[in-house]
Amino acid sequence: MSDKQRVSRRQFLNYTLTGVGGFMAAGMLAPMVRFAIDPVLKPSAAGDFQSVASVDEITNEPQRFEWIVEQVDGWYESEVQKTAWVYRTEDDEIVALSPICTHLGCTVDWASNEEYPDEFYCPCHAGRYTKDGVNVPGTPPTAPLPLFDHKVEEGMLYLGQEQER
Amino acid sequence: MQWTKDDTELYLAEKKYVDTLIIPLIPFNPETDGTIAKEAFQRELNHLTTHLLEKGYRGRILLAPDYNYITGNYEAESQRINQWIEKFEKQPFEHVFLFTFDTKWKRWEKELKGHLLWVPSLHERNLQSTETRSFVKEQVNQISDLIKAYWD
Repeated sequence: MSDKQRVSRRQFLNYTLTGVGGFMAAGMLAPMVRFAIDPVLKPSAAGDFQSVASVDEITNEPQRFEWIVEQVDGWYESEVQKTAWVYRTEDDEIVALSPICTHLGCTVDWASNEEYPDEFYCPCHAGRYTKDGVNVPGTPPTAPLPLFDHKVEEGMLYLGQEQER
Repeated sequence: MQWTKDDTELYLAEKKYVDTLIIPLIPFNPETDGTIAKEAFQRELNHLTTHLLEKGYRGRILLAPDYNYITGNYEAESQRINQWIEKFEKQPFEHVFLFTFDTKWKRWEKELKGHLLWVPSLHERNLQSTETRSFVKEQVNQISDLIKAYWD
């Protein structure tokens, strides 16, 4: 018992004050750190996949599918309707193309022009894309149609962000 | 394209591709209690329809600012609309459409320098309902077919 080091009053006060001060500092800093890294912790909207269709519905012929996403755009929070042309390739791969013409943003249609039955056709300026979404040279669009990220889970097709090519 | 900063800038750069203008004609009369709600509803429906039209063909159609007018004096209003059209045609626009739910314009159609797109309105009902949505979509399909007929 008597071997034990004695704690002087000064040491005791030092330890106590450091401890209490440390807790106070931590109490103040913790929320600040939390605020600072908050954007990192939020689930990113980019990874959001929406269920769009059942896999059985998808055929070799491109079909139009529609779904709704919530979009926050500065002032407004709104529901936006998204559309995709979806089909299955010969190799059983699913392809989901954005219908927005890369020229000036009109909505393209599959096989809507009788002269080009196997192409996507833009009604505004006669832009054309082959079935894989690649623009036909000599028509106004300068880039292929964007592809949607997609995944299949439990027989449902989920679509995510569109990727420019 | 819409009458916003970003879209008008795009319009100025890509003018040669945009040859079609839609002007929404929106009537109102704040004097009479009986018509206010109906006219406000028509205004909403007009916005829904013209924006949907613009969305599908935004590379070739410019949506002009709304033409708002007090109901009644159609002669004076048609002259003012013609002034709008003359100014827009200086850009140039080849096809000018006037979109409205106001029946009265039908009688003045010949005086107008744009193509009148008059369509019957709905009775006031919920704009979010699936019925209204499919009605608006169907109308937009038919109106865009009509507009495309002018393009060919």
